[in-house]
Amino acid sequence: MIKHHPKFSLLQSFVDGELPASLAAGIAIHAEMCPLCQQKITQLTEQVAEASFEDNFTESFVSELIDSVVTTTATELDFDDIIGQITASDDVEPTKPVSVERSVSFKGTEYVLPNALRNMALGKTAQIGKLSRARILLDEGEIHTNLLHIGAGGSIPEHTHKGFELTLLLAGTFADEQGEYVQGDFIMLDKRHQHQPATEQGCLCYTVANDALHFTQGINKLLNPIGAFIY
Amino acid sequence: MQSVHSELPSRQTAATSSSMTNKIDHSQLCQWLKAVAVDRDKQAFTGVFKFFAPKIQRIAQSKLNNEALAAEVLQDTMSNVWRKAHLFDESKGAATTWVYTIMRNVTFDLLRKIKANKEDNLSDDIWPLAESLNTEDESFTDHIQSRNLLGVIETLPENQQQVVKGFYFMEMSQEQLAVHLNLPLGTIKSRLRLALGKLKLKLGEHHD
Repeated sequence: MIKHHPKFSLLQSFVDGELPASLAAGIAIHAEMCPLCQQKITQLTEQVAEASFEDNFTESFVSELIDSVVTTTATELDFDDIIGQITASDDVEPTKPVSVERSVSFKGTEYVLPNALRNMALGKTAQIGKLSRARILLDEGEIHTNLLHIGAGGSIPEHTHKGFELTLLLAGTFADEQGEYVQGDFIMLDKRHQHQPATEQGCLCYTVANDALHFTQGINKLLNPIGAFIY
Repeated sequence: MQSVHSELPSRQTAATSSSMTNKIDHSQLCQWLKAVAVDRDKQAFTGVFKFFAPKIQRIAQSKLNNEALAAEVLQDTMSNVWRKAHLFDESKGAATTWVYTIMRNVTFDLLRKIKANKEDNLSDDIWPLAESLNTEDESFTDHIQSRNLLGVIETLPENQQQVVKGFYFMEMSQEQLAVHLNLPLGTIKSRLRLALGKLKLKLGEHHD
């Protein structure tokens, strides 16, 4: 059973469309596997929509922005003209959107990618030992997004983060000091956390981090290049 | 200039018949969208447009802080409405939710184009238009019940409404609400208790 969910404020930002694509996709993937969060998102979207298009809401906007900008655009834009342009087109969206399944392969195993990732550009897979990593090329600056595969019996040495690290388990299981994680678990860690995930059967994760992992223990400090590799 | 709402003919009647809200005429919006879908009715589209356009424009302006971009969001959102009206399914959610989803997706793709210089239009994969709305029958019933309840909740004083909505609709704990609203836990508890007492009275009138 999924035990780890995005916190409420993250769902809110997701519904508002304010998260970077990497984190928004992470929430979408989780929600696809978690009816509980899907339900919350549905209700939240409905409420935000209702509030956005209520009179009170938009009027309070206007008073905040004080006439200048908003009212001048309102008079400049010719609504009838725009309506004319739009309705002149006969294009109609096809009823069933074409959905193409996309899969990736790590160490001989095929994984079907979640819908949210199916149109994202993937970099080449790189490997160090049991770790395989394919970058997801989102171009979000310091935020790096990867598909990370840990082979059976593999682990990531104990490490900590300077920024945040989201790990979303797409397939398989892994465990750390906090316990066992299953498919769909949404694990958001920040610099306060240290952990050492290990997998018996192997697993595939979707990871988002805004800084390199930092290995903390003795000889493992020598592994800090792996931190950069995973980030 | 006249207010947008004076152009909505059945607003008055809807205000008394709809238990969900007396601020937005949902059935009128649905009717218009259907007419656009079935008859490519330009008059109906004009109705939808005049309801949403000024609001979309203001929201986009405040989010993007740029007039040209706000106009682009408006144009893209409304042409999606025109092209996709037949995909709107009233039984799956309100017209406002549907249009909001389109607007949010258009804005997201536009911002990504500007910030990351990427035209990958990921939004429809992240927030699929049809699937983002409720599809299961069971939760749909709940959903109708929630709406009726919402009408009753909106008769409560504002501070009690906040607590009840957060607790029941957003499933926040009393502790989370205390943090979220920046109020002592005791206040949250007593507001919730007061509100529930009133709700029981009001709902009892119809449901007993």
